[in-house]
Amino acid sequence: MNYSTSQFKNGLKLMLDGNPCSIVNNEIVKPGKGQAFNRVKFKDLITGKTLEKTFKSGESLEAADVMELEMQYLYSDGEKWHFMDPESYEQFDLGRESMGNALNYLVEQDKCIVTLWNNNPISVSPPNHVTLEVIDTDPGLKGDTAGTGGKPATLNTGVVVQVPLFVAIGDKVKVDTRTNEYTGRA
Amino acid sequence: MNILGVPNYPQMPSVKEKLLQHQNRIRTIRDFFYSHSIVEVITPSLLISPTTDVYIDSIEVSVNHALLKSSNFYLHTSPELEMKRLLAKGSGDIFQICQVFRDNEHGSINSNEFTMLEFYRLGIDMHQLIEEIQELLIALGKNDIVKKISYAQAFFDYAEIDILNSNFEDLKNILKSHGLSADYDWIEDMQMVLFVHLIEPKIKTFPVCFIYDFPKQQAALAKIDGLVAHRFEMYINGTEIANGYQEIETANEYRDRFETELDKRKSLSKSIGSIDEVFLADLKDGLPPCSGVAIGIERLFNSLSL
Repeated sequence: MNYSTSQFKNGLKLMLDGNPCSIVNNEIVKPGKGQAFNRVKFKDLITGKTLEKTFKSGESLEAADVMELEMQYLYSDGEKWHFMDPESYEQFDLGRESMGNALNYLVEQDKCIVTLWNNNPISVSPPNHVTLEVIDTDPGLKGDTAGTGGKPATLNTGVVVQVPLFVAIGDKVKVDTRTNEYTGRA
Repeated sequence: MNILGVPNYPQMPSVKEKLLQHQNRIRTIRDFFYSHSIVEVITPSLLISPTTDVYIDSIEVSVNHALLKSSNFYLHTSPELEMKRLLAKGSGDIFQICQVFRDNEHGSINSNEFTMLEFYRLGIDMHQLIEEIQELLIALGKNDIVKKISYAQAFFDYAEIDILNSNFEDLKNILKSHGLSADYDWIEDMQMVLFVHLIEPKIKTFPVCFIYDFPKQQAALAKIDGLVAHRFEMYINGTEIANGYQEIETANEYRDRFETELDKRKSLSKSIGSIDEVFLADLKDGLPPCSGVAIGIERLFNSLSL
């Protein structure tokens, strides 16, 4: 199945240079004295890189068979990260290179979005907010409850996040995975 | 909330405020031309011949059906030829603000109907006309720094391409190297896709940018001088706002340009009309040396601060 430039819209998944890509921005440019073009920004769903291409109106691209499914993260054996579709109980695994920043935030049993291309997993997105446990941080200074300043804390996934001074080892904290920022105590 | 429990939106101008603002801007434009002794004209918008431009489509209308004298006209896509007939008859400097109509142009910044400001100035060249447009922008309160760069220099600076000395095969290879389709029949179409792809995103950072001296293959109705045509465009943050020429002057040159465009329309299986012979007859003694420009009013006004 092919999509023509007139059907282009944000989020449409198309094949580009052999990789599945998602349209991030689609701009129609009609030079006064020229034909119409679509100047399109894509995100390569495998490499995560952004690409820009310009098509003349009427060109078409092959659709990419891409699905985004909510799955449960089961466990990692160190080489592969294993996920399960809770509807079908089908299991999928990804290598480290496809895990991206999800490595920093997923703990077993967490829900996340796994992207499948031709039924093969190609990437995983953690939830926007996760709750993780502080496993290492300097003890806070007594009396400093205002939380100004902050300090680094290592969480149970290994990720390091800036936290207020009053946060202690063993505390559960909420983290925004898009910015890697502490958003509060859980 | 006000006393009636209706929310107040202090930032949203009312319809009347918007209309007054539009009126004030149009008045500023008219005052600008009146003060330069440039005469305002109104020319017909129902024309006997459609435009010959390969990538502009006229809207056809049928009239006088009930009078049993039905005939077809075309809404003007720009007032250019009708204004040039006046120039040929000795009008001197003229300007016009009018609605123009184009088929198959519809989108977020394109419309089948839009407002055009078109003006012609006798005895000045492209660069002098660009200076006058800058004065008009200042009159409208647009005081941004203006970038002015030739088409060729823009390609050198922003894409490291020698656009004027790249032939058909060179451009195909450049398109392929950027992962773009090279399925184009004419060199000018490849120049244009490269401009849209490589140059426009770079000139988005300029509040006002004039690009001048287009490759001769994109001369349209501008005078050719070596490899370039004295044609320019004005971009505001990367969006095309105006297109101007140092105008060709003889009927023969116009006939050649029209025929070239019609041949292209034929090869694209687009509708074609007859060449406007009345226009060419009116030009038998030629146009006086002049430069002219068309400016998209909605796009221009959208770029002005409130």
